[in-house]
Amino acid sequence: MAEFEPVLLANIDRPESHTLAAYEATGGYSAVRRVLADMSPTQVVELVQESNLRGRGGAGFPTGLKWSFLPQDHPGPIYMCVNADESEPATFNNRILMEQDPHQLIEGAILACYATRATTAYIYLRYEYPHALARLQQAIDECYEKGYLGKNILGSEFSLDIYMHRGAAAYICGEETGLIESLEGKRAWPRIKPPFPAVKGLFQKPTVVNNVETLCCVKHIVDRGADWFKSIGVPADPENPRDAGSYGPKLYCVSGHVNKPGCYEAPLGLTVRELIENQGGGVWKGRKCKAAVPGGISMGVLSADELDCPLDFSGPGKYGCLGLGTAAVTVVDDTVSMVDFLHNTTRFMAHESCGQCTPCREGTSWALSMLNRIKAGKGRLQDLELILEIGDSIGIIPGTTICGLSDGAAWPMKNAIRKFRDEFEEYIRKTNPDGCNETEPVQALQIIGVH
Amino acid sequence: MATTEEITTDSEAGDKVLTPEMVAEIQALFPRYPTLQAVTLPALHIVNQHLRHVPFQAVVEIAELLELAPAQVQDTLSFYAFFKQDKPHGETRAWVCRSISCALRGGEEVLAHLCEKAGIQPGETTADGKLTIEFGECLGACEFAPCMLAGDEVHKDLDNKKVEAFLRDCQSS
Amino acid sequence: MATVIINGQEIELDDDERLNAIQAAARVDEEIPHYCWHPGLSVVASCRMCLIETGRKDPESGEVSMMPKLVPGCQTPATDGTVIVTDSDKVKKARAQVEEDLLINHPIDCPICDKAGECRLQDYYFEHGQADRRADLKPYTSRRRSLGDTVTLFVDRCIMCSRCVRFTREVTGTAELYVEGRGSSEEINVFPGFPLENKMSGNVVDLCPVGALGDKDFLYQQRVWFMKSHDGVCAGCSTGCSIEVDENQDHVYRLKPRENPHVNQWWMCDEGRYGFHHIHAEERLAGPAKLDDDALVNADWTRLPSELNEKFTAAESVAGVISPHLTVEEAYLLAKYLRSVDENAALVLGPVPSEGEDESFPNGFTIRAEKCPNRRGVQAVLEHFTGKVQTLDDLLPEIEAGKFDAVWVSGGYTNSDWVDETTAEQFASVKTLVVQDLFNSPLIQQADYRLPSAAFAEREGSYVNFADRLQSFRWAVRPPMGVRTEGSLLWQLLASSGMYNAAEVLAELSREIIYFAAAKDEVPAVGVDLKVNLLV
Repeated sequence: MAEFEPVLLANIDRPESHTLAAYEATGGYSAVRRVLADMSPTQVVELVQESNLRGRGGAGFPTGLKWSFLPQDHPGPIYMCVNADESEPATFNNRILMEQDPHQLIEGAILACYATRATTAYIYLRYEYPHALARLQQAIDECYEKGYLGKNILGSEFSLDIYMHRGAAAYICGEETGLIESLEGKRAWPRIKPPFPAVKGLFQKPTVVNNVETLCCVKHIVDRGADWFKSIGVPADPENPRDAGSYGPKLYCVSGHVNKPGCYEAPLGLTVRELIENQGGGVWKGRKCKAAVPGGISMGVLSADELDCPLDFSGPGKYGCLGLGTAAVTVVDDTVSMVDFLHNTTRFMAHESCGQCTPCREGTSWALSMLNRIKAGKGRLQDLELILEIGDSIGIIPGTTICGLSDGAAWPMKNAIRKFRDEFEEYIRKTNPDGCNETEPVQALQIIGVH
Repeated sequence: MATTEEITTDSEAGDKVLTPEMVAEIQALFPRYPTLQAVTLPALHIVNQHLRHVPFQAVVEIAELLELAPAQVQDTLSFYAFFKQDKPHGETRAWVCRSISCALRGGEEVLAHLCEKAGIQPGETTADGKLTIEFGECLGACEFAPCMLAGDEVHKDLDNKKVEAFLRDCQSS
Repeated sequence: MATVIINGQEIELDDDERLNAIQAAARVDEEIPHYCWHPGLSVVASCRMCLIETGRKDPESGEVSMMPKLVPGCQTPATDGTVIVTDSDKVKKARAQVEEDLLINHPIDCPICDKAGECRLQDYYFEHGQADRRADLKPYTSRRRSLGDTVTLFVDRCIMCSRCVRFTREVTGTAELYVEGRGSSEEINVFPGFPLENKMSGNVVDLCPVGALGDKDFLYQQRVWFMKSHDGVCAGCSTGCSIEVDENQDHVYRLKPRENPHVNQWWMCDEGRYGFHHIHAEERLAGPAKLDDDALVNADWTRLPSELNEKFTAAESVAGVISPHLTVEEAYLLAKYLRSVDENAALVLGPVPSEGEDESFPNGFTIRAEKCPNRRGVQAVLEHFTGKVQTLDDLLPEIEAGKFDAVWVSGGYTNSDWVDETTAEQFASVKTLVVQDLFNSPLIQQADYRLPSAAFAEREGSYVNFADRLQSFRWAVRPPMGVRTEGSLLWQLLASSGMYNAAEVLAELSREIIYFAAAKDEVPAVGVDLKVNLLV
């Protein structure tokens, strides 16, 4: 297929790409100039709505629609939170954007704040990106000096402050309201909804939380128009009035057992197979692909005969996965045990569960303790049924939890065990021949005073 | 009668762990947020950067600055499993990733090797105070898996030899 | 009016009612199980036990459309057209799963846990849980950690409902409790050096749905299924919190607040909560005694009333000191009796104990400086009988001058300090001094007739609090042998037939005294606002 002309990654190979000078040399901040002079905030919202831009953070919610939930005549302040907490395993596209082209994000944020009438933006950046922190702070400083930030930007009525706010290594701070709670200085226990952040968010004021890549797309939509954006990607299904389409360029992360792990830009809609073979350079060491994660581990896992799954907002769902997520594809070759795979994802989720609501806190911990016991050679076939039951019951989709972390914990459980059932059973039978058929409860591996 | 030169810091001030410099850094952030509580996490980071841990006394002082109860600051601090409290972490803190993309490319073996050579388990600090090893959860550098974050630097494409070299660098620094 | 449909049953709500699904369901006696929700705290919907199915009924078509996912009942407003389903298979399964989740890591402590018998984890297991354990076996017993002087924490029993933390942040504003850690190893804790020590601390034990928080005063004292609960009113201060008195065989083990939206909502202060031990103090006056030619001898309750009546009838001039610890009915009877033997009997208010200042909490709850329950009620009785309110201090000069042959001092004070030597000596020349009180004091030492008094939990009658709210209560425990309550004694002195009947007295005095008119009908459990009928 024809090489896709990068949009989001257009600048990153240029020398000093992170500086204002380099950014302006390729037309950077012309969108801000034009918008401040010629467009009203409402017009910018409408432009983004027209583009059908959908959030790149994992949920795929239409960005313009999210912005439209803000109350019309609110006295303010309105806040923008840039979700730079990128912690979904296997995902690193935002890191590259922030390190190599921070001004693209800043410009996108300025445009978004103008549209939503936000007067303060916080970039909530995960702790593990110190280089991005330095680059972003430098870019912000350059903008203040140039007059792109601060009071009365470029002589307009619009004023905006952007501040960096550093996280402390907790995955749940990437959840919209978990981020807000963390920013407010509390433990990151996500809030119940309603009220939604657009109505009562940060400091109980109307707030928009947007992903880094999403805001970068905003900049390009303003530069090149909604029609241009919709010329890329997968159009909405005409039969399905609820399908908002999968438009625009996407950054795909490929990692795991491939020859060329990295971040690649292409239109939405690439299949997993294409991504692995073309951009990813194929499965490493001459091996075969056994399984592939479609969009960060929260989305679940595809089996080897599901690799034609298209990476757009509706594709993975047709293959039993949760959704597109972060479009981060991790390839698992045929030497890996799916028991180890599931153990790794479940351990991650149990470690990161905020602990607030019962099904997630206890369910992820219970599933992990069973997988620990299975790996210790004391597993039962019965455990697979229990893990599946946990997977089928926890999440915001059934409505049993407050946030989607539990859905992210559940999907790998459901996909891995259902798609690789024989392997799981064989593992248990082989490692625990005497006890694998036990249906009564067995002793826990650890009996201590603490969970 | 004592002159100003003779007045020494009283025992209360001597027990404080936040230096005036740290207090100033924290207070400089106040204008950024409409509430003082929002400065909690930045304040914890500031103290952690200076002291390599956040002792209980620091929590009390941060709480005072932010007009919160110490329990509220501790609540936030303890959520993150990031801030050590009983003693400083090592001069270098190495977060070795154990999430899926690194695990697939040998991350767990590399971590085990580093721990063995350093003689400590994840969460612990070497006796000479040079190095603390921690589990990292997806550092977001998966194209360089297996990797680790040490200080501000990402160490890429690790193998046993590289971690041994890293360990030597830590010990000689 | 809003129509809400619960399990097919329709109920009407007033326009100004703001109920959630749990409260709406309670109206049709449908209990939606829940742990973390409490009407006095913020809604967090974290326990997920109250999950229900909900939907809307179209007012025109009558068609019901249900939401596909479960939602917590605590965060579902019951508005016009809301459909609530609490008994579907989906709901039952979700509840069973939450219950099972909570029991996975729960220590096997029921036999040694105070909460057994009033524990939601136990109750919901039986009502909603799935029978057999499916998780790995890990039998262990909880660690324990003191949180302060009043409360101890059994760490591992906690189900992370966060009620206690929210209480210290939202109600008392003291924020001593916090959650430590993240995920399944979270624990409740206090910061070292900053224990749980606000004056409402005991409420967190009421709030705890399981046996994680233990009340140090009550710990291991009594099994709840042996105790009987009686509605009562706290006598600690003039706030007059509605309470329940938990006793077994006439021994009070615990006081707990009773919900009263007009007075204390769901709370009570520690002083009131733990202020009942005097009821069973060894130092309590045990039986009536009298001075017989300067020798103190035990008196006999069968003969005392007629002897007292003789003395008071024969006296030329009589006075009565009516304690603000007495119930309205007891005050009325005492005044009535003394005026019956002397139509000009002087009647004054006894000393009103006061300590410090009123102390208010962020949610409005106030501990009052006036440390007695019924000054207003007694004042109203005095005003009725004498046309004014005078205190003991006003009368002391006349008492000292020997104006009164017989003086009746009612007490019921919970300590010996309410009257000092100097004041007591001013009663030296009274020919017949009757003092009825709980404990020894300088004044009792002056008395010719030393009668033991009832403690608050032994009284039956009514108190009027600082806001003119009258609350009525029955006795919770019988007084010790040798003690007769003021009400019972005065009832006999007035030659009323049968057993003391406080309700009858209240009926009479509410007819006689306008201030009490609103109490003439049956007084509801939350009391009645006496100001309602007053023009002022």
